[in-house]
Amino acid sequence: MNPRTRGTVIRVVPALLLVAVALAGPWLAPHAVDAPVTAPYAEPGADAVLGGDQLGRDVLSRLLAGGRELVLSSLLVAFLVTGTAAVLGAVGAVRPLVGRIVERIADVLMLLPAVLGILLVTLSWPGGGRLAVIAAAVALGVPYAVRLAAGAAAPVAATGYVESAAAGGERLWYLVLREILPNLRATLLALFGLRFVAAVYLVATAGFLQVGPQPPAADWALMIRENSPGLLLNPWAVVAPSFAIGLLALSVNLAAAALAPQTGRKAVPVL
Amino acid sequence: MAGPLTADTTTAPVRKPGPARHVAVTVLARTGVVLLKRAVLLAVLLALVFVTVELLPGDAATATSERGESAADVERRRELLGLDRPVLERFWDWMSGLPTGDLGTSARGERVTDLLSSAFPNTLLLGGIALLLTAVLSLALGCWAALRPGGRVDRAVSGSATAVLALPEFVVAVALVLVFSLWTGWLPAVTLTDADGSPDSWTMLVLPALALTIPQAGWNTRIVRAALADEARAPHVETAVLDGLPPHRVLSHHVLPGALPTIAAGLATSTGMLLGGAVVVETIFNYPGIGSVLASAVTDRDSPVIAGVTALAGAVITVVLLLADLIRDWMAGGRR
Repeated sequence: MNPRTRGTVIRVVPALLLVAVALAGPWLAPHAVDAPVTAPYAEPGADAVLGGDQLGRDVLSRLLAGGRELVLSSLLVAFLVTGTAAVLGAVGAVRPLVGRIVERIADVLMLLPAVLGILLVTLSWPGGGRLAVIAAAVALGVPYAVRLAAGAAAPVAATGYVESAAAGGERLWYLVLREILPNLRATLLALFGLRFVAAVYLVATAGFLQVGPQPPAADWALMIRENSPGLLLNPWAVVAPSFAIGLLALSVNLAAAALAPQTGRKAVPVL
Repeated sequence: MAGPLTADTTTAPVRKPGPARHVAVTVLARTGVVLLKRAVLLAVLLALVFVTVELLPGDAATATSERGESAADVERRRELLGLDRPVLERFWDWMSGLPTGDLGTSARGERVTDLLSSAFPNTLLLGGIALLLTAVLSLALGCWAALRPGGRVDRAVSGSATAVLALPEFVVAVALVLVFSLWTGWLPAVTLTDADGSPDSWTMLVLPALALTIPQAGWNTRIVRAALADEARAPHVETAVLDGLPPHRVLSHHVLPGALPTIAAGLATSTGMLLGGAVVVETIFNYPGIGSVLASAVTDRDSPVIAGVTALAGAVITVVLLLADLIRDWMAGGRR
């Protein structure tokens, strides 16, 4: 393994570990997440290592259980955004008219702050819950991602072999899926990482604004919102989930930065 | 925005010699095109928001219905609010009201303009402070790092910028409250308002503004650093270095002006994040801005209020993007 690869592995491993712990968390929880085991806002003790929350539920158990949905939703959002943006960007590179339309729509959606967009969609879809948040996050993420994908696809589409395939009468989907997208692997992997970071931000913020998961669900962002009145009595009920979200955002971001192709000139990633 | 804009006036590049009137007309025409393009984009966004709100299951009349109210009562209020008219007609009414500052009527019968007139300036103040802090902080850190490329400072600045840029504002806010309110007691953790609905003291603005600034400063420091690195490869910069000018002078007079359009565009993109983040941060600090108005609008399913807030936010972002466009055009005009 050369030093570059080793450096990348070192920076990607913490994110993978953290995601694995978040996914396995619900099975590791020592107590039930919805039954009180201590007094409300009880300080850490023998039976509850991180104390109790506003209803006396075990903070550690809720912490372990509260990451899985956040991580799964964010992964799904990142996957959908990257996929949609890759296809739209590649189609736009082959068909300039489609490219211009996509670009204009992206211009419009960029005027909508993501948090307001989430509120708008969850409001127009009251029973949507997690699904509404995921749909909103995908709709708001694609405009940013499509620029990066289109930028990467344009030079590939201009290469001789794609042009000759197009002149040879190959269909659009063949050009996109077989000729262009395989050449964008590195860019798309980096884009996936960045969109995962952005998705963690959006899904967590939706949870905090209480438009995503509803109580009594165990969710890191919701825990912070619910327990902040008791910050003085048992700070761990707020600090532990904040730390978890911060650590997740940070490690995933480092991993995404490590995966980004090192082109030298364009050092600014598009989040 | 004040940072980059004022920094620029002293370092304007030499313009192409030519008839002054001709240049002025070209600049004016280009400004007009940019203005028109941005206005059209904003109008399309507003239409999109209106249609989204229109597709709501249930409307303002049902959302505000009281217990025991008959279907006829709801129907009567729907008529009163004008909800029985065709969508296109209402959209036209709403849009034509915008230039006069009329944002329509909320589900409870209050004028949306009245609801937002005290809250929005507070949010603009908070967002404006955060944007200013972001501009100053990211320019300072970016330049500091750029003066020692590859050095320890450069690596430390880039590393910490990358680390903070992905943190959600509410996580930063919790950490700030913990350190500056609970442990040290230096700053208040909640905002108290005075009689006219604005924050009681400037100390109450510090923590919310910092919570907004820290992630955006991380983001923009990276943009400043990268833009400076790109610009440093330009031939005129090399000439300046070979002339033996001191590094800080090369940076301020030769590298920074060229990097300005990119930096302005980065800050403009941050405006949307700042306005969105403000909604979250206001909730934590109980700050009297659009965050609290939005929170109650969400519970009421009060679509006119949400549409109004989106319209205002879109307008602010449009203005800031317009400024960034003009800076880019102006620099490009000066280059030729």
